[in-house]
Amino acid sequence: MDNTIINYIKNQLIVSDEAIDLDAEDDLLGSGLLDSLSMMKLVGFIEQEFKLKIPAQDMVIENFMTVACITNYLKSKSD
Amino acid sequence: MIYTIPKILENAVLEHPDKVALRYMSQSISYKEFYEKSECLAITLLQLNVKKGDRIGIYMNRCMESFIAVYGITMAGAVFVPLDPTAPNERTQFLIDDCKIEHLVTVPAQSRAIVKIAAVSEGLQTIIGLDKDLDVNTVSWSNVYKSDRNSVEFPRVLGKDLAYIMYTSGSTGLPKGIMHTHNSCLAYAKGSKTLYDVAALDVIASHAPLHFDISTFAYFTAPLAASTIVVLSDAHTKMPVSLAQLIEQEKISIWYSAPQALIQLFLNGLIEEKDFSSLRWVLFGGEVFPNKYIKQLLALWPQAKFSNVYGPAEVNQCTYFNIDNTYEINEDLPLGTVWENTDYRILDTNDKQVEKGTSGVLAIRSETMMLGYYNNKPLTDKSFYHESILSGYDHVFFKTGDVVKENEIGQLLFIGRNDRQVKIRGYRVELDEIEAILLQHIDVREAVAYVEKNNNESRDSVTAVVLLKNETSEIDIKELKIHCSQNLPKYAVPEEIYIMNEFPRTTSDKIDRNKIQIKISENHNG
Repeated sequence: MDNTIINYIKNQLIVSDEAIDLDAEDDLLGSGLLDSLSMMKLVGFIEQEFKLKIPAQDMVIENFMTVACITNYLKSKSD
Repeated sequence: MIYTIPKILENAVLEHPDKVALRYMSQSISYKEFYEKSECLAITLLQLNVKKGDRIGIYMNRCMESFIAVYGITMAGAVFVPLDPTAPNERTQFLIDDCKIEHLVTVPAQSRAIVKIAAVSEGLQTIIGLDKDLDVNTVSWSNVYKSDRNSVEFPRVLGKDLAYIMYTSGSTGLPKGIMHTHNSCLAYAKGSKTLYDVAALDVIASHAPLHFDISTFAYFTAPLAASTIVVLSDAHTKMPVSLAQLIEQEKISIWYSAPQALIQLFLNGLIEEKDFSSLRWVLFGGEVFPNKYIKQLLALWPQAKFSNVYGPAEVNQCTYFNIDNTYEINEDLPLGTVWENTDYRILDTNDKQVEKGTSGVLAIRSETMMLGYYNNKPLTDKSFYHESILSGYDHVFFKTGDVVKENEIGQLLFIGRNDRQVKIRGYRVELDEIEAILLQHIDVREAVAYVEKNNNESRDSVTAVVLLKNETSEIDIKELKIHCSQNLPKYAVPEEIYIMNEFPRTTSDKIDRNKIQIKISENHNG
């Protein structure tokens, strides 16, 4: 799950010719890595890829700060 | 008397030393601490032999230290230059070289980017705010805060001194630096404090990053009133639900942002469930606010007054139009009327005043006006309009480039631009700049950039269409996007780039931009 999300971010959301080392603990929101538009795209991708709906009230910093946060959140949802 | 930026803080400390000045996440500091920390930074700079007028870069995400940097740098008599940390390194490096920045203030969160910038910027001598050692001299924040007040002599800072240089998109492909003095900054801070009746009891959200000109309200007006400033984190600006929670929790009383942030908050922030009763002023500027959203926000926050703020970065603010939920919105909100201590002209293409009711370019004369563009006298001269009053005494107006019209009741209405400047999420973008950058790519023969409207979310973005030098050249769109993202700020990078085999032309053989736009939208959106 981590890797699917990381690959999507690396390949679709970050436009760069440098190899980006992004790991599950990297700060996505505070580092300037993703802007608000990319965030929306990421949510759309997750909903499609994992066939679920993320309710608006769950779209908070705690759930989306890092890829690890996202996967934890998604796991908690499927439990 | 408050006549410089540092005097703003001196005054706040005298009147409200223990009041919370800045709050960021779980940290907060009083006005007294704010002053002391700024003074420590000023001492550090003076010890580095910084002289009056030296340019100091501020390379930071949204954080408390950006406020300390602004006041510390100006206390030392130096000029601060906001650097956008989300901009490509090439652009940052250009700004550092362009205005010869030798010292840069940052925060540890930016260390990854700073290492790269320091490696290529030869003129850089010191990085303040990093804990790690680099090839250039570094000073950590903890060492800054150990500075000894008795070790240096502070310069005499005057209202006429240069205070900051704010860079904005330039049509030639290179950014241009807008120079503001302490006087022009203070004129804005005092004018906006009066207009919005800002007081010490206010809690003001700082949403705009420092390099975005509307940030001056939180950075200067709020401390002038000794209000509490809640510095929103970058993360909050990306997660509307978290942002809404924070506004409720902090009891924000004054909000100021580009319309886009308010629309996101409205669409995705679940704000109907939140208590926003503390909100008394909602200021917005930078671009036109779609009526349908203002109407809904007015209904949702009936206690708040809304202000359509207008003014290019060159003049800070110059007009306003204030409404509350008794106002019936039928057409686009007017820019309103000029505020105090400001005069205006509406000019035709020959710099002659138009007749009332006819559209023309708005020119502004006020205390809030910039000194000029840094190192660019021709552009400065071109942007000013002179009215000769006496021999040796002119009235100088800044030509905004915004085309306006005055209605029967003296309100200014926004018609459009007289050039190809557009607004993306409130930021100024020169379409010519984007085209110039695309043309720098070796395979590109011609390029056209335009704004693609997205009415549903009102999320406009740039689209570019290129014609290749060699039709058969193997170039992929991603490579062109990378080229753009290396040279343009994020908001100006085209969201979509298309390749055409030939461009439609007008009878005079000029590129027919309208036809191109229609063709692309037929082929790709329909």
